[in-house]
Amino acid sequence: MITLKFILNGKEVSITTEPHIRLLDLLRDKFDLTGTKEGCGVGECGACTVLMNGRAVNSCLALAAQVEGYEIVTIEGISNGDVLSPLQKNFLLHGAVQCGFCTPGMVLSAAALLDQTPNPTEEEIKDAIAGNLCRCTGYKQIVDAIKETAKELQVK
Amino acid sequence: MRNYDSIQHVRGDSLFIDDITPPQGTLYGYVYYSPIAHGKILQLDFSEALKSTGVKGIFSAKDIPGVNQIGGIIQDENLFAEDSVHFVGHPIAFIVADTQLHAHEAAKKIKSIYEKLPAIFDPRQAAAENKLIIPHRKFELGNIDSAWSECEYIIEGSVESGGQEHIYLETQGSIAFPTESGIKIISATQGPTAVQRTAAKILNLPMNRIEVDVQRLGGGFGGKEDQATAWACMAALAAYKLNTPVKLVLPRQEDIRLTGKRHPYSSDYKIGLTKDGKILAYEVTFYQNAGATADLSPAILDRTLFHCTNSYFIPNVRATGLSCKTNLPPFTAFRGFGGPQGMFVIETAIYKAALVMGMEPAEIQRKNLLNEGDELPYGQKTFNCNAIRCFDELDHKFSVKNIFQEIEEFNMKNKLVKKGAAIMPICFGISFTTTFLNQASALVHIYTDGSIRVNTAAVEMGQGVNAKLKRIAARTLSVNESRIKVDTTNTSRISNTSPTAASKGTDLNGFAVIDACNILIERIKKVAAEELGKDDASKISIIDENVFYENEPTILTFIDLVKKAYLKRISLTAQAHHSTPNIFFDLKSNKGNPFAYHIYGSAIIQVTLDCLRGIYEFDSVKVVHDFGESIDQIIDIGQMEGGIVQGLGWMTIEELIWNGEGKLLTDALSTYKIPDIHFAPKEIKIHALENSPNDFGPLRSKAIGEPPFMYGIGAYFALTNAMRAFRPNMKIKYDAPLTPEKILLNLYNK
Ligand code: FES
Ligand code: FES
Repeated sequence: MITLKFILNGKEVSITTEPHIRLLDLLRDKFDLTGTKEGCGVGECGACTVLMNGRAVNSCLALAAQVEGYEIVTIEGISNGDVLSPLQKNFLLHGAVQCGFCTPGMVLSAAALLDQTPNPTEEEIKDAIAGNLCRCTGYKQIVDAIKETAKELQVK
Repeated sequence: MRNYDSIQHVRGDSLFIDDITPPQGTLYGYVYYSPIAHGKILQLDFSEALKSTGVKGIFSAKDIPGVNQIGGIIQDENLFAEDSVHFVGHPIAFIVADTQLHAHEAAKKIKSIYEKLPAIFDPRQAAAENKLIIPHRKFELGNIDSAWSECEYIIEGSVESGGQEHIYLETQGSIAFPTESGIKIISATQGPTAVQRTAAKILNLPMNRIEVDVQRLGGGFGGKEDQATAWACMAALAAYKLNTPVKLVLPRQEDIRLTGKRHPYSSDYKIGLTKDGKILAYEVTFYQNAGATADLSPAILDRTLFHCTNSYFIPNVRATGLSCKTNLPPFTAFRGFGGPQGMFVIETAIYKAALVMGMEPAEIQRKNLLNEGDELPYGQKTFNCNAIRCFDELDHKFSVKNIFQEIEEFNMKNKLVKKGAAIMPICFGISFTTTFLNQASALVHIYTDGSIRVNTAAVEMGQGVNAKLKRIAARTLSVNESRIKVDTTNTSRISNTSPTAASKGTDLNGFAVIDACNILIERIKKVAAEELGKDDASKISIIDENVFYENEPTILTFIDLVKKAYLKRISLTAQAHHSTPNIFFDLKSNKGNPFAYHIYGSAIIQVTLDCLRGIYEFDSVKVVHDFGESIDQIIDIGQMEGGIVQGLGWMTIEELIWNGEGKLLTDALSTYKIPDIHFAPKEIKIHALENSPNDFGPLRSKAIGEPPFMYGIGAYFALTNAMRAFRPNMKIKYDAPLTPEKILLNLYNK
């Protein structure tokens, strides 16, 4: 057993856990943050995407032990209480959400992009979500939602 | 508008099966399955596995209190293999332990010995050996035998189309809880009643002791219509035997290995035309690879036959379908339900004919489109037929002729990169072709605070049915949508549900909701008349929650009426049952009126092909589609785009490969590729056909789920056109998916 200290959705946390478990399981099972989904478990679908110090990572490939000292953001930490983040709002408005299973990962990949590249090109948007599979939408509405968010952020 | 659950989805709050916090002490299951395609089980030894850490029980055929049978249409599929196995992945036992890991580890300690038997994977070989799921099916129109002599061109060929794995992002899963009255199952199924009925049979309990509840699915696409049942039954069996909640969620690789996919087909066609391109005769034989058991294959085969002439009127048709039994996991429903396989063959026949005759495929397509009143091979005549309207509107809206011209110019200038385009018209019948499934019911409650709860048989799987039902209820009652909550799909509240499938979820359940809401309106209108001291309740109307008498406003509102009705002891709950009127189909003559209506549309698909490397990009998909009067445009456009991209995937990159022993090699997302953002077309433009209200859909809408998938078929021919620009006299083998490897083979083979 090891004890990990890190920042989770803005709060300092500490937890004792088996060292070999995946970050995905740590979040889902120990913190009950089930917004992070498992779609494949092998780094191919992006449903498990979380932010680690601002970068989008597949939490099914990361070990829990790796989070020591890091800042982790999951989908539950993206909105400001009841107020949706601009990305979340635009996902809603543009119909970028169908079954919703890919949505948390998709939103986080987009959030990481807009954090580092507030005014992304179409290609940059595509690259940012290239690791996130969606079987429902055909992606167009997702890209539209991200573009619109970037535009809004420019205006501000 | 947006999908019903969207707010929870973007916040990560919506619970899927694996997100539900199970009660303390819940056990986890793992499925132990056959490693060989066909054989006798000589020995099965659980003794070491039972001693493994955390194991609480191992269940197999002999532990079933009821009947070891999960077949839907035909009773030919066991939950667990008995003395023989029939495909790689055939479930043999279910291991239950305190953690998923422990269950998995125990599975490795099961010892089994098999005697291998010969296995068949090719549907044509199965047909030759008369291994058929059902006797062959045949649809006929006109007199094909005499028609050939009138044809100036007769073209024949063969076509292969591959299977397709659903890759719903949420894998199959269920949780079963013992309750005082029996078992409650939370399942990710499109068919709650199928799960209930089958679990009852397995457990030897009456159906009233099994409750199935479905919150939402992380995608279904047909893959959870029949094939969610087995996993729910395994969890239920173990929960019942151990009197403990049991959860089973398939890991992705197991989901791909164990569950059925779209049926691969191998087909022969013969098409006869006049010299100006009118199709006079079409004969086609479909060899459907059904896998080891029936599952939904017979109904899917029928859909292939129903749609074998796609959007065209052909006066003389003979279509034969053989559902061939092979040693692969039972193939199952997938968006389009056999229709796409049939349409791919007729489109191939037209393209081949165009080539031989030196005509443009689009010219043959246009000349043979369905007209009002034309007879389809199953005897139904078209009405409100929009085939030609959509095709011409496509040209009009998107200047199809210019597109082809620009492509030609591009191809003259470029040697190694070629462009291609193809038009794909569609016609798809709406209704379950199994007539009795075309029924649904709704249960609507109005509470005394004016909030409303709607129950139906519809399962939300991302297609937006709950948002549509909410809107239908709100419009019928003329109240604010915020009053309405659509409930989970639950077999205790709604009995005998038809699966949410066949694009029919909104139609069937929407009409039932309308009927239930109308019953409530009649009741509260009576209350209004009494309150206003009027005799004639028919002169009362409710508009936007305000009550009118003879179109004059009154002081009453919807909420007043609800409160008053309650005090007057009038029921604020209504139940209604809807069944699609005037549909029938005779399985002997294969004639009838199986569909409530048809969906029409036309698309043009453009591709750019790198002829050195075989890789390609879809430049655009442009569509004119008949939505009827859309209940929700954003949802319908989402269904269109998602369906199109799935169809493109089926035709191009999604390739299932089995080895010679029947073991699936493409059993991970790293080897089985579905469209990602880079694959998706650069542009999708959708134009809704104007003025096309549909009297047979709720709020004059049309169904949307499946038809867009079939636009994807055009991708195949856009590619072959680009290939032909590079190698004009190429002899192509029509074999989908057209992967980059196959493109290179076709471009460079001698
Ligand atoms: S679950 Fe982590 S990438 Fe698929
Ligand atoms: S919305 Fe279903 S997978 Fe993306």
